[in-house]
Amino acid sequence: MKKYVWIVLMSIGWLVLVACSSGEETNNSSNEGTTEYEETNAITAWAWDPAFNIAALEHAKEAYSGDYDVVIVENAQDDIIQKLNTGLSSGTTKGMPNIVLIEDYRAQSFLQAYPDAFHPLTDVINTDEFADYKTATTSLDGKQYGVPFDSGVAGLYVRTDFLEEAGYTVEDVSNITWAEYIEIGKDVKEATGKNMLTLDPNDLGQIRMMMQSNGSWYVKEDGSTPHISENESLKKAFEVYKGMMDADIAKIVSDWSQFVGAFNSGDVASVPTGNWITPSVKQAAEQSGKWAVVPIPRLDMEGAVNASNLGGSSWYVLNVEGKEQAADFLANTFGSNVELYQTLVQEVGAVGTYSPATEGDAYAVEDEFFGGEQIVSKFSEWTDDIPGVNYGQHTYAIEDIIVTGMQDYLNGTELSQVLENAQSQAEAQLK
Amino acid sequence: MKMKRQQQLMQVIKNHNLFLKMFVVMVISIVAVSLFITFSSIRMSSHLFMDTFSITNTKVLGQIESRFESLSYAIVNAKNDVQDNGTIKRGLTEQGENAIAIAESKYQIMKQLERIDTNIEPYNASMIVFGKQEQLYNMNYSNWSVSWEELAEHPITHSAVNHPDILQYHYVPSLMAHSEPMIIGTKALTERSTDHVYGILYFLINEDQLKAFYEGYTSEGNNVLLINEKGTIVSSSQGQWAGKDARDVLQASKEVDKEQLEYKDVHVLQDDYMLMSEYLPTYDMYLVNLVDQNAVLQRLINPKEIIFISMGIVIIAVIIVFVISRRMTKSISQLVHQISDIANHHFNKPITETGGYEANQIAYAFNSMLHELQEYVDVVVQTQQRQRDAELRALQHQINPHFLYNTLTSVKLMVQQGKKEQATDTIHALSSLLQHALGRINQTITVEEEIENMKNYVLINQARYGDRIKVNYFISPDCLHHRLPKLVLQPFIENAFFHAFNEKKEGFIQLLIAQREDRLVCEIVDNGDGIDMAGHNMKAKRQLFTGIGVRNVHERIQLLYGHPYGVEMTSAKGEGTRVRIELPLREE
Repeated sequence: MKKYVWIVLMSIGWLVLVACSSGEETNNSSNEGTTEYEETNAITAWAWDPAFNIAALEHAKEAYSGDYDVVIVENAQDDIIQKLNTGLSSGTTKGMPNIVLIEDYRAQSFLQAYPDAFHPLTDVINTDEFADYKTATTSLDGKQYGVPFDSGVAGLYVRTDFLEEAGYTVEDVSNITWAEYIEIGKDVKEATGKNMLTLDPNDLGQIRMMMQSNGSWYVKEDGSTPHISENESLKKAFEVYKGMMDADIAKIVSDWSQFVGAFNSGDVASVPTGNWITPSVKQAAEQSGKWAVVPIPRLDMEGAVNASNLGGSSWYVLNVEGKEQAADFLANTFGSNVELYQTLVQEVGAVGTYSPATEGDAYAVEDEFFGGEQIVSKFSEWTDDIPGVNYGQHTYAIEDIIVTGMQDYLNGTELSQVLENAQSQAEAQLK
Repeated sequence: MKMKRQQQLMQVIKNHNLFLKMFVVMVISIVAVSLFITFSSIRMSSHLFMDTFSITNTKVLGQIESRFESLSYAIVNAKNDVQDNGTIKRGLTEQGENAIAIAESKYQIMKQLERIDTNIEPYNASMIVFGKQEQLYNMNYSNWSVSWEELAEHPITHSAVNHPDILQYHYVPSLMAHSEPMIIGTKALTERSTDHVYGILYFLINEDQLKAFYEGYTSEGNNVLLINEKGTIVSSSQGQWAGKDARDVLQASKEVDKEQLEYKDVHVLQDDYMLMSEYLPTYDMYLVNLVDQNAVLQRLINPKEIIFISMGIVIIAVIIVFVISRRMTKSISQLVHQISDIANHHFNKPITETGGYEANQIAYAFNSMLHELQEYVDVVVQTQQRQRDAELRALQHQINPHFLYNTLTSVKLMVQQGKKEQATDTIHALSSLLQHALGRINQTITVEEEIENMKNYVLINQARYGDRIKVNYFISPDCLHHRLPKLVLQPFIENAFFHAFNEKKEGFIQLLIAQREDRLVCEIVDNGDGIDMAGHNMKAKRQLFTGIGVRNVHERIQLLYGHPYGVEMTSAKGEGTRVRIELPLREE
């Protein structure tokens, strides 16, 4: 009898030993499955530019006094778009961030394609306090989804010394039409040998700016019907573009560094683009005082204004666990914090579209580089004049078609023919 | 105190000698066996594991190599496409006359490059095309936002121009403030006929991307790294190694590759590793697998667990051995103890039959032996008793004729002298004495009867020899009904009468009978001549009356009642003799 007791005791001891060792292994393997996003009390935000929007997020995180930790993740913009598309189309929320930055041109495509994937912020921010054109692109069906981040308000950066050499003053280039701009460009080239601007045949940012100054876009107001052949503003913009080419006042570039290099090295007399270029312009410190910022030229048409937009992006909250915290974070930072906007202007060079912030000191700072002008305050002023358009879902898809059309047009094809071709191509492709 | 404790300890050791010996030997062998098995099994499994590990890792290296090859193939394809593309060549060599022409050419080149770029896009690689006339096409800005001037001065551009025929791979630590290290492939675009370099093609590969090729195969202690022909670590699963100068690794890799070794044990990067390597000819780099044997084995074999298990087994085994050997030796030592104690119990106490089978058998055998021995002893005792009885009976029946003659002579004298009364008393005493003496010898009589006999005997003797020897009786009244064997006192009285008063002519004899504790003590004391005890110890002297000697009395008592009882005689010359007879208290 006693012997059996011993055998039982021994086998129990053995089992305990085995159980202990196998227990360790299962512990190890279970650790591998966890991801960094599943922490409670932490919200995740995705953005792409460490010098710009990531830096802005860091400042917002500092300014935020809530209980939640904000994890900032840097991803390339293309990766963010790809991840959002794959994640949202498969309906999974695993690995998705709470807050994501989306470029305004692409915003509508996401909002319309995944109607339930985003958390409405209508009650979280006061849309009246933001620029109209911004709220137009960040809302859908009357619901506000995005918190506007940076303004893409456009301006014309000009070299006063070159203008002077050609006999022009800053006033002469303020509030002008594109036709006047081309004429001035010709004179400048004659007087100084410098080109008036750079153009990239593969990027039609200029066309987009021109269209928006007249409240028009590649698509109709519904955001999906291509609006090309009947689009007078687009037609006009094409003519202006060809006019600049024919006048030979444009330096052709194929690359961002060449674009920046051209004005930094003094090869061009002006830069018509979004205000985000300011830090790049100021890189050439020796040109301080030789620059001025004036309103962007307008199309020579009825209703066109000397204000437009290029680029810009906004924050969105995904409809996943933690959305209330994420909304709270945005509401208390980019949605209402005037101080934060001052910091962003000073530290990051990001101009927001939050109108109460324009009263702040940072907006009124006089910039010696630009001849002591209050350029931030100027940009904010122009922001209010930007016509709001519905960028729709297909900006880049249509632009690919337009780029080809532009080449045909430059090579002598009839403009109406080019636009009709583009129209039918777009309709066929986007159907 | 210390001595005492030491003694106690020695005693304990001595008592458990057998157990200790057995136990110590068992424990030492168990521990030795488990140590040996533990270490040899760890060693064997390590060897076996490292062997299979090196085989699988060589295969893994092959797989990683094929991934590198596929990237290389995509790049070579893209390179050929760019090289052979007329549009790109025209765009880079001819300068357009006007803005429209330039825009046209840039647009076309971009179109072509976008198409070609799809070859390498899956690898997150990108192209830059550099033209001599300030042309620059950068397919992915976030990889390297380089300007034309910067690129024109860059050492990799010079290197490409100097070796226009080959596709070279360069390691560039960090291109921008917060970017990852890159591997950049360069190839000069040359005019076939004139060898004129009209542009340079760059392939930008993120180190991260190369890492992705092998990262899934690595683990802690199992590192993969890529090392170029200069000995710089281009990419590594250990982040901090990237960019490090590691010529020792390169040297070892070259040896492995040259001698076609499966693997080699090396000391590189301040540590001991098992090194496996593959040469990537298209990159002119070595793909190296460094395995930190200790770290890998630690993770996979876990000697702690094995040692823990064998320790557990040893402890359990020792406990079992302890209990079992304790049980075995305990029964044996108990047996030994009981057997050594058996003499104290007159060999009549059986030992307890407990413990295991063996101990039981020994105890059983011992007990049956003891039992038989006792039977023999009993037989011997009985025989002796019977012999004694026979002897006694024989003696009893030979009443000394001298005694009878003398007594009868005395009576005759009394009658002649007319002492009728005295003669009658003497005759009466003699007949009563004879009656008692001739009865069954093994019968006992009461003290009272014995005193009666003694008085008769004394009367006869006094009638014969006169009363110069006085006899006094001191009998405790509570002893009268106790019983004692026949003819126990008489030989000593007789002895005193006929031998104690040879020199002194008169004296007295005292007979004392009393109860002392649980004994009946009879003392015969005379104040006669006494004897020198040396050499006269209870001689077997035949007595006058029955021939029963003093010695016979002693032996008879011991035979009847055992050793504690018997006769003790003390005497000194000139002081008389004292005889002490001790008997058990017996009542009928």
